[in-house]
Amino acid sequence: MIHQRLESFLHKRRCTLLGVGPMSANCVDAAIELANEHEVPILLIASRRQIDSEEFGGGYVNNWTTGAFAQYVIDNDKKGKILLARDHGGPWQSSKEKDAKLSLRRAMESAKSSYRADLEAGFQILHIDPSIDVHGQPDVDEVLDRVFELYEFCWGQAQQMRKEVIFEIGTEEQSGSTNTQEELDYTLNAVQQFCKKNRLPQPSFVVIQCGTRVMEMRNVGSFDSPFRVADELPAEIQLPKMVEICNRYGIFMKEHNTDYLSDEALQWHPRMGIHAANVAPEFGVAETRALVSLLEDNGLSMLADRFLSFAYDSKKWDKWMLRDTRATDRDRSIIAGHYVFSKPEVVDLKAEAGRNLAQKGIELEKCLKEQVKQSIYRYLHNFRLVRSV
Amino acid sequence: MKRVATIILNRNLPEVTNQLCDHIVHHDGDVTDVYVVEAGSDHERLSRYSTWHANWPEAVTHGLRYSRGINYGLSQLWKEGRFKQYEAFFLLTNDTELQQGPTLTPLLSVLDRHPRVGILSPCSKRWGERFLLKEQSTRYFWFIHNNAYLLRRDFVESVCNEEPLDPMDFLFDGSNFRGYGSESELIAKAYANDWAAAITAEVWAAENESHLINRADLIKTEGYEENKRLYVEEGRRWMRRKYGFNSRWSMQQYVKGFYDSFFQHYPEFQSYRI
Repeated sequence: MIHQRLESFLHKRRCTLLGVGPMSANCVDAAIELANEHEVPILLIASRRQIDSEEFGGGYVNNWTTGAFAQYVIDNDKKGKILLARDHGGPWQSSKEKDAKLSLRRAMESAKSSYRADLEAGFQILHIDPSIDVHGQPDVDEVLDRVFELYEFCWGQAQQMRKEVIFEIGTEEQSGSTNTQEELDYTLNAVQQFCKKNRLPQPSFVVIQCGTRVMEMRNVGSFDSPFRVADELPAEIQLPKMVEICNRYGIFMKEHNTDYLSDEALQWHPRMGIHAANVAPEFGVAETRALVSLLEDNGLSMLADRFLSFAYDSKKWDKWMLRDTRATDRDRSIIAGHYVFSKPEVVDLKAEAGRNLAQKGIELEKCLKEQVKQSIYRYLHNFRLVRSV
Repeated sequence: MKRVATIILNRNLPEVTNQLCDHIVHHDGDVTDVYVVEAGSDHERLSRYSTWHANWPEAVTHGLRYSRGINYGLSQLWKEGRFKQYEAFFLLTNDTELQQGPTLTPLLSVLDRHPRVGILSPCSKRWGERFLLKEQSTRYFWFIHNNAYLLRRDFVESVCNEEPLDPMDFLFDGSNFRGYGSESELIAKAYANDWAAAITAEVWAAENESHLINRADLIKTEGYEENKRLYVEEGRRWMRRKYGFNSRWSMQQYVKGFYDSFFQHYPEFQSYRI
């Protein structure tokens, strides 16, 4: 039913669906409110680092466990417009599994346990992504074997729990390079055969590398670039071919790392037939910028500096840096800001800021949420989910 | 009689141009004549292979760039009655680097094997298109972004403007000065007239951008980044003015429409479709 509902929606609207990374409590609220106000489906795509089950210590977003997060969303999503989605589930996708360098069997068991918690909590879309292996680089067939094992497991669990679930496969790994047509064809064909043989539903989404890649606070992939990106197929060639293959297999094409693309590039998503696109860090950065501006514009620069310094010290900006980066320390802090929102020091700092701003009639959390809503709305509008006329 | 006329654009970089010309003469001299267009070069910075010198004030001040420079070279050949003696034209900027060994002989062999290919581009080592050219080294594309093309004369004749014979209109639209989108327009014209545009991995060519980055003052052009900005900005304005396209994606859809219809009329080339 979920798949059919999405298919019918896509067919009627000729739009691109939006996956929103739950970067913070405000971001989750913003997505829920927009989905309900405009009566459009929005996918909340939680990575395991953002939100995971209690067993894995939850995630960095609002200290939510999978269950608590799902319960919060389900309670607040009055019209039932949000789809809860696990983004990049699979072995070693949690920091704990990675740091412990779990063996393959243990990592697969651990991933299954996380998926079980997702299903129990009411997640409706599971992204099966076993492309990471801390012990080496598995080849395509090894990855496919792991996909099949997890796929079968999740479907079996969902059946037992009488839960409805659809699947997403594939990965983009932020490599920036493009997956080849042959690879995609091979993968989709193998998955189709597997599902047929085992009487499992076909996956609904496949992740396609469309030439999008997020570094620092911009998209450095070829999608939005009029110039060549070395070793990358120009998006002008890659995209139409991938859409063609996905349509041939009747699977929705999903783009990851869509953040920071221009309005023009976004407007072409529905026109080119990209079915869905994920955006995450841009919303976290939007909230961080809004927080810092509010503090600095209202005589609370000391608090802004403390926050920026705390974010900087977290070093969470590190993985986003370009090799020849010119980013300032402030830029790095802004990139890392949303990772520390739920740290006790920042919770206290925001509470203090909230009290100060309230005296000026400013509701801190409301203002932050509005900024994130604006940022998400840009996508809803450009993806034709919301029309102005 | 040589089969190819190679036209190279130079602006104030005689050493670089001479080196490229030497390379072509050495490796492909048996199949090509080499012509150099001096795109407003200073008198003391002409290549020793210099053929035609665009030395009118506008060209001296701003240069010719790819579209006007190539138009100038081709129209000069036409005026001099040498155009029809060649089967194809190899069009290059002087910052092109070619593989050691012959480039044109293998390219001509591709043209011979692909009778409907009007535009042929070598694949650079760092292009993603290489992924698509593994099993078949030559395939037909709707999008090629390059400064090194081998054009078949029959194709050029099917779309060129003999009147007026000038740098603005002969083959490319010279009003798009820096040329963003010009290659797409040419590819659309090709497919619309039953000619294909191919990339081949049988030889490689690459653009050495270091000259544009480090020697912009000598070339008398804007700095590298400013040039890139103007290239896109002017090209987008041109696309909008000429076609009413507000996006490069519209241009791509336009070209791809002709590409798809080419294979309906020439199903025998289906295996070269990407």
